[in-house]
Amino acid sequence: MSTTLGSRLHEIGSVREQLLRSETLLRETGHYCGIEELRLKAADPLRYERLHRNILSAVIEARETGRRISGSPAVREMGEFLVTLFTAEGDAIALSTGIMLHVHTTSQFIKWMLRNDYETDPGIASGDVFANNDPFIGDVQNADVLDVIPFFHDGTLIGWIGAVSHVPDVGGVEPGGEPSVSSDRFGEGLFLCAEKVGHDDRFAKTHIIRCERNLRDPALWILDEKAKLSACLEVREKVGEIIERYGVDYYLEATREFIEEQRRGQLAKVRTALVPGRYRATGHYAHLMAGQRHVMPQAAVDLLYALPVEVRVEADGKLVLDLEGMPEAGPHSSNCTPTGIGGGLFLALMQLTAHDGKVNHGAWAATDLELPRGSLVNPDDEKVGTATGWAVLLPTFGAVARCFARGFYARGFVEEVFLLAANAGFQEWGGRDQHGRRFGGPNFETGAVGSGARGFMDGIDTGYALFNPEGDMGSVETWEQQFPILYLGRRNLTDSGGAGTYRGGVAFAPVIKVHGSAEVVLGIKETSGRVFDQTGVFGGYPSPDAHRYVIVRGSNFAERAGSHAPLPHQLFGEDGTVEVLTRLDGDAEVGHGQLANALVAHDDVVAHSYGSSGGFGDPLDRDPEAVVRDVRDGAVSAARAYSMYGVVLAGRQPAALDADATARRRSELRARRLTESRPAREWVAEERERVVAGDFIPAVRELYRSVARVSERFSAEFRRFWSLPADWEMDG
Amino acid sequence: MSEDRDTVERLLEGRLPWPQLHALISGYKGRDRFAMFRRFQQERVSWSDPIILPLTPKLFIVDAGNRGVVKCECGHVFGDWRGNWKEDARIRIRRTAEELEDLFGPLACDPDWMEIREFICPGCASLLEVEAAVPGYPFTHDFLPDLATFYREWLEEEPPEWASEAEATR
Repeated sequence: MSTTLGSRLHEIGSVREQLLRSETLLRETGHYCGIEELRLKAADPLRYERLHRNILSAVIEARETGRRISGSPAVREMGEFLVTLFTAEGDAIALSTGIMLHVHTTSQFIKWMLRNDYETDPGIASGDVFANNDPFIGDVQNADVLDVIPFFHDGTLIGWIGAVSHVPDVGGVEPGGEPSVSSDRFGEGLFLCAEKVGHDDRFAKTHIIRCERNLRDPALWILDEKAKLSACLEVREKVGEIIERYGVDYYLEATREFIEEQRRGQLAKVRTALVPGRYRATGHYAHLMAGQRHVMPQAAVDLLYALPVEVRVEADGKLVLDLEGMPEAGPHSSNCTPTGIGGGLFLALMQLTAHDGKVNHGAWAATDLELPRGSLVNPDDEKVGTATGWAVLLPTFGAVARCFARGFYARGFVEEVFLLAANAGFQEWGGRDQHGRRFGGPNFETGAVGSGARGFMDGIDTGYALFNPEGDMGSVETWEQQFPILYLGRRNLTDSGGAGTYRGGVAFAPVIKVHGSAEVVLGIKETSGRVFDQTGVFGGYPSPDAHRYVIVRGSNFAERAGSHAPLPHQLFGEDGTVEVLTRLDGDAEVGHGQLANALVAHDDVVAHSYGSSGGFGDPLDRDPEAVVRDVRDGAVSAARAYSMYGVVLAGRQPAALDADATARRRSELRARRLTESRPAREWVAEERERVVAGDFIPAVRELYRSVARVSERFSAEFRRFWSLPADWEMDG
Repeated sequence: MSEDRDTVERLLEGRLPWPQLHALISGYKGRDRFAMFRRFQQERVSWSDPIILPLTPKLFIVDAGNRGVVKCECGHVFGDWRGNWKEDARIRIRRTAEELEDLFGPLACDPDWMEIREFICPGCASLLEVEAAVPGYPFTHDFLPDLATFYREWLEEEPPEWASEAEATR
């Protein structure tokens, strides 16, 4: 009987064969493990739900235990940690909060081991510990280290327990977890490729020695390892006790029913809350490395990536994510693997459709991925760099959120419309710290930036991250303790939310002084200059987040502080000038986009911006009083209130609304829209000449050539849109 | 949280207090929401073509007799529902450094790398959509609904006859 196969799957042979059987059953029956009826749920729903709650409590509690063992602020404060219980075949049963993308990557890691017959060699035994941070096996970047232990019951492998943390340093060519200067995998530090790193519930001595000798800050990596193993062992103990209470047959069958229930729940949610059809949106990423010092030659180029997303909602509620049209993989660290993109889809589902009910692998089982071979999201060369793969992943899923927004809106569920976010920037420090120790790691304050707007209210100000929606930036003192830095300021960035009827949340900008070390390396990764990586919907604008950074080296900070002269505390002063430039003397460097491997020292000062995301709806439809409140709060400047929102203020201290003048100003702006615009078809006909002439900068021409090399469909659509002959190609 | 008409209307008008909003977000999704939403939108517009699907706060696919068209709340008709209405809109391109800085301030995009396309209704000058696009990138066709499946299989209602014509006319 297929209804009881869930409990008997382990009887059919090796776990590898179980995995193949499970996949076949899903394909042939349309049900996870062929489970056509939720037998146990129907028989005794209270017992069934109680088991689920017991398991869920175990993984959530273990995550908290793990966080307290870790020594890394990223884990302790930001919650860059995740604990998941899996079936023997590697399907998630229950997960804690945290970096949820890795539910899927860990699942892929387990399946990779099974497919590669780890049961025979190196063998899988109770007490073993396996680790992976290879994105082509299961990950986004090697700074996210996945540890799993097999879970045996009476000698039979019945599951896996996994824990993931973002480690501070990976021992790459550039300090920190995201060495962005490498043109391929070989500068990206330590890779653990689905490796057995422990036995008898302990890490192997050789693994610890390897970490000690290959990492800048091995203590934090090793503490993270201990945190993850402790969390896994705690889950094993607690779920073992749970199994004693419920019986192993009940456990095995019910946990698979949980997954089938969630698969059905995902399909039902889509059918309830979306509209079938084809949705499209495009994210962006600009890899700006030309002319940067200390970057490997092949990577020292400026590349522009348009990241088109197509979400298809099918009749049965299945979601297909089709990334046809992505450019080809490149000689840099921002390639994204299929397991990473799959994890991104899981992450988006957790925040958009699958956040209620039983959150597990079932949501994933109701989706499909189509990733063009050779592209940035499915490289055919597994030696490409991936250390900053999030730089592509996040704008891609920002675009996915805009697709969902259209579906929710069309169905009337405006309360579900949420534009999530995209990239925000990722500050990493390394070198020698204030105590003379070698170090490297991220300042995870990027864990709380601005979100995109919602369909019924503004986005979240300085309190959201797509990658970990807990949204925590850590306290300034933590980062000052961790790194040789002192904050001169960390303020919300006026006008940083995308404008709209509902605006994106504001982001923030730090001003940081290097302190107590003469040998510091700074990088700012996963951020675009010259382009916005997101936009709004329905007339909402993008967040102005084309990244800029300013460094003043050899500054006269000490002299000004000693004489009580004004110091820089924010990126832009009240008059719009860059405060570190007007309030400090020294050698100034102003740049766009990423910063790689920059040498700085005591009293050098750096300021930069984090990003937000787009707005919802026409800004001229925004409640004028909301704009006035924004001006009072510093979220919107008086200048932008006037130019973008058409709001005229009656006074500045405090700001008040001049309703009549606002009505006139809005009429004027609407009238200008008509006089300053033209029919789109007319514009397309004229713009075609520019396309034919290839009158674009080299990075734009290379984008189109790159996409053409991996996507005939995109090229055909491009030619059709611009009425070009079938053999037309963009010149180099 | 009940999804009565008053609640849904206040939600759509942005007037629902947070505690009720939160309950609505956390609660189960009502099956009749779409019908309420469609009725709400229909009563809001001054024309009588039946709304088949709201696409955006301003644009609707409507039943214009023997064909489906995209129509603005102001009454302006954009053309066949299967096409990309953007091609029938007015467009304002922002692609000089001055224009972009005026819109976005010091963290504006670079016009060589990205342009801002504002799609405007010829009838009411509403800003319907904003594309941040690489120069030369085709317009994005944001959403092509499968109306026949939606009505017949999801809502269990008969779709308009024209909704089954799958291929776009252009």
